[in-house]
Amino acid sequence: MFLEILLFSILGICVGTITGLIPGFHINTLIPFIMGMTFLFASPYYLTAFIVSLTVTWIFISYIPSVFLGAPQEDTSLAVLPGHRLLLEGRGYEAIKLTIIGGMGSLMITLILVSIFSTDFSNFYDMLRPYIQYLIAIVVLFMIASEKRLRKILSAVLIILLSGFFGIITLSSSLVPSENVFFPMLTGMFGLSTIIISMKGKSKIPTQKEDSNLNISKVDLLKSILLGSVAGTLIGGETRSFLVSLSGIRVAHEVVSLLSLYIIQTPRSGASIAIQKILPELAFYDVVLMIGVICFASGIAVLITMFLGKRIPKLLAKLNYKYLCLSVIIFMLIMIFLMTGVYGLLIVFTSTSIGLLCAHLGIKKSHCMGCLLIPSILIFSGLNGVVLSILGI
Amino acid sequence: MDKKNILIFWFLFTSFLGLILIYVAALNLQPVKIEVSQITSELIGRSVLTSGKIVQKTPNSAGHLFLMISDDKSKIQVPIFASLMNDLKKNNITENDFKINKLISVNGLVGEYRGQLQILPRKVSDINLK
Repeated sequence: MFLEILLFSILGICVGTITGLIPGFHINTLIPFIMGMTFLFASPYYLTAFIVSLTVTWIFISYIPSVFLGAPQEDTSLAVLPGHRLLLEGRGYEAIKLTIIGGMGSLMITLILVSIFSTDFSNFYDMLRPYIQYLIAIVVLFMIASEKRLRKILSAVLIILLSGFFGIITLSSSLVPSENVFFPMLTGMFGLSTIIISMKGKSKIPTQKEDSNLNISKVDLLKSILLGSVAGTLIGGETRSFLVSLSGIRVAHEVVSLLSLYIIQTPRSGASIAIQKILPELAFYDVVLMIGVICFASGIAVLITMFLGKRIPKLLAKLNYKYLCLSVIIFMLIMIFLMTGVYGLLIVFTSTSIGLLCAHLGIKKSHCMGCLLIPSILIFSGLNGVVLSILGI
Repeated sequence: MDKKNILIFWFLFTSFLGLILIYVAALNLQPVKIEVSQITSELIGRSVLTSGKIVQKTPNSAGHLFLMISDDKSKIQVPIFASLMNDLKKNNITENDFKINKLISVNGLVGEYRGQLQILPRKVSDINLK
């Protein structure tokens, strides 16, 4: 049994590596396909090991297209700008290393916290849930206030309202399948708009430095690993700390989502929904197995990410930057069209316009996260239905 | 007007144009038809169209009606709030028309209440008794 689980974990790592490298590809697109192939797995534990290792590997590897090609997922979108900035400074490898450190640090802390407080999570979740909309609203207010000058504050309000309205109509309508909707939404705001602006100045990606230096102090590194998503969104200033925090948040989110089946008996992600179907009665030792696979897969995924993170920028540096950017833009548009059709192109046109507007107004790109924050406030406060009724959708 | 301001106005115009086009498309699009068993928390906040048998019916003193519908594989709650019940009455649909085992088609937003998924119909045309 152990050898088979190991084998399926390695298979998951291989598939996770390939899918992680495909720009804009989300793991949720693959999960229904895997669930249709359950007959290939002799035991539900093999399938669980495969899905868990696939998910964990995909999280780490998908930073490569996010940082180097500006192709974000729903939770790597904010990493595109700082990652791309470091790439243009010749520090693309450092950007990848920072995401790895953030992810691994957060993985260890999350596993320790889950082990200690697993019995209290359910109560904490029930206690916090009625107030989540207020917490998100406070984050939005802090984001606006962080701009300091009146002109920029007004610009931030405009971008949050525009992207918020954009999020409400795009996320609630059936224009694009739900599992792919974030691809055109976030690629335009954070990816394409960044590439279009950076295309103006640079003609070449500088030679990438491969030294082991991390230009961040140990205290900042530790603080960034410990910081939550709220702080990560608000800080936004120091590129390196931000990348570490964001990667940490993403890994913690996915690990807690996987373990949420046991902790709060509610699936929180595509992978955990699949596991709920495979193992409806999750026992303590099933969770131990999942944690073991998470640790094993993340260890291997880190090595693969570092290996690819060193080689891919070298390859990109040899190419003409403008042609590379143009090829990436065309490739993204083709992928969006194939995955989401004509409506996906309409969504990416709008999201790129909002992203470019934000950049030309000279305010932080994180305001574009209004496309997720505003719909979340409406959903958690129960006002989503009222707003959509008013809009007639 | 300098080049920077022209670009700001241009992107403001394209953003609004895109939003208007998406809004018009969303208004004219039918919701996705989906089985009850396929409705997961990933769909919270999205509009779906589903159908199933009424397996449970719980009226409320405030005028709300809570239905549980099933497609044999899975169940989901459909709360019909008092305001919508009043609108249904105006269209000659009363609480008695929601009979157990009767087929119903519901169009609404996927939501979550106390950890349970539900579909929230918002207007008379969102409910279709067969």
